[in-house]
Amino acid sequence: MVRFKNRYFLCEIISEDPRCRQLIEERVVHNAVKNAVARIHGDFGVACCSIAFSVKYLNAYTGVVLFCCRKDFYQLLWSSLPFITHLENRSQHCPCSFNTLHVGATIRRCQKFLIQYNKDQLLLLLRNCTNEADRKAIQKSVQSCALVGVEQFQSEDEESEENVEMD
Amino acid sequence: MAAFADLNILYLPEKEALQKLVEAAAHLGYSTVAINYVVDYEEKKKEIVKPLSPTELFPALPLVQGKSKPIKILSRLTLVVSDPSHCNVLRATSTNIKYYDIFAVFPRNAKLFHVACTTLDVDLVCVDVTEKLPFFIKRPSVNVAIERGVYFELIYVPAIKDSTMRRYTISNAFSLMQICRGKNIILSSAAEKPLQLRSPYDVANLGWLFGLSESNAKAAVSTNGRAVILHGEARKTASGVVYTMRKPQTPEDDDDSAPLSKKAKTDLGSTSSPL
Repeated sequence: MVRFKNRYFLCEIISEDPRCRQLIEERVVHNAVKNAVARIHGDFGVACCSIAFSVKYLNAYTGVVLFCCRKDFYQLLWSSLPFITHLENRSQHCPCSFNTLHVGATIRRCQKFLIQYNKDQLLLLLRNCTNEADRKAIQKSVQSCALVGVEQFQSEDEESEENVEMD
Repeated sequence: MAAFADLNILYLPEKEALQKLVEAAAHLGYSTVAINYVVDYEEKKKEIVKPLSPTELFPALPLVQGKSKPIKILSRLTLVVSDPSHCNVLRATSTNIKYYDIFAVFPRNAKLFHVACTTLDVDLVCVDVTEKLPFFIKRPSVNVAIERGVYFELIYVPAIKDSTMRRYTISNAFSLMQICRGKNIILSSAAEKPLQLRSPYDVANLGWLFGLSESNAKAAVSTNGRAVILHGEARKTASGVVYTMRKPQTPEDDDDSAPLSKKAKTDLGSTSSPL
């Protein structure tokens, strides 16, 4: 039995309006992506992309979403992502844009990428920050993720290797 | 991995809006952007302004995402031409033209398209995407353009804004691709707002919608952009070999100049004697 191959999209939702954060929910993102596919590729596209399409992870604070679809149709989905211009709830409406950070074959790979990406963002924040209190807080978090993150990662890696060996 | 370039960011009179736009491009991962000054002769007699220098725009340039280098800002002049006489501006003698890094031309009819591809000294030929192509693109002129290293530009922001524009963009793009087979294409934004910009990988994937193959689409946002910039730089040189630039002035320049020239002379003498 061969497993079904998926593609996982790690996207960042960019918006100028802070109220947009409240709108980042699973259902809203799901509908936005689906509507975009319908606009670009029509009924055929929606039908293809809706196989195994789901939002796997979502972080409203950083605006990062992770969703997956089948590998055969990921290009249909990817080519319609740039045409998303707003998120829409029942009454609220908020302009935004999707920035694809990474397209991976496994969730684990995407998680690794996201951790590295967020670390880089912390360093950028540290460079641009002007307030002394902020600087201390960011430095603390950079140090904490440098130590704990690596250890966690190594242990995860070891675990996964063990798993592979056990298999 | 070549660096990504977006060679079309519209010039906005408000400095803050322009700053935000460039910052957004840096955040998305573009290493080079070109600010586009459009001169349209049909509207009214416009004159060519002197472009903003990057130091005027930013006290400190924003860093590119994922790299530790600051973003590079170029200036680009786009001429919208409907009459052959409009192209006289491109001569080196006209004012303010020497400050621009890249020249682009937007031909309105078939004759001018042919002229732009074959004889004009430009780096980019823009292809109209907001309406049905007013003329057929001919294979001979495109072949000459490819040989000369002139690139064709497709912009994608009209496609994002509106559904009918999207149809025109895709159909015009396909008719161009049939002729040039994916070579010598660059994809750029023509964005006015930060939210209209898309990341380089998304744009490369948009190329799939426009009929480009995967490698051609990626080249359209990276290596082809670099080729255009180099083509523009070569114009300022003598036959692409010699380049002159002003030496930064130092206060004690006068004291050093005499011994330096003497030294150079003696060096020359010593090297020429064995020959």
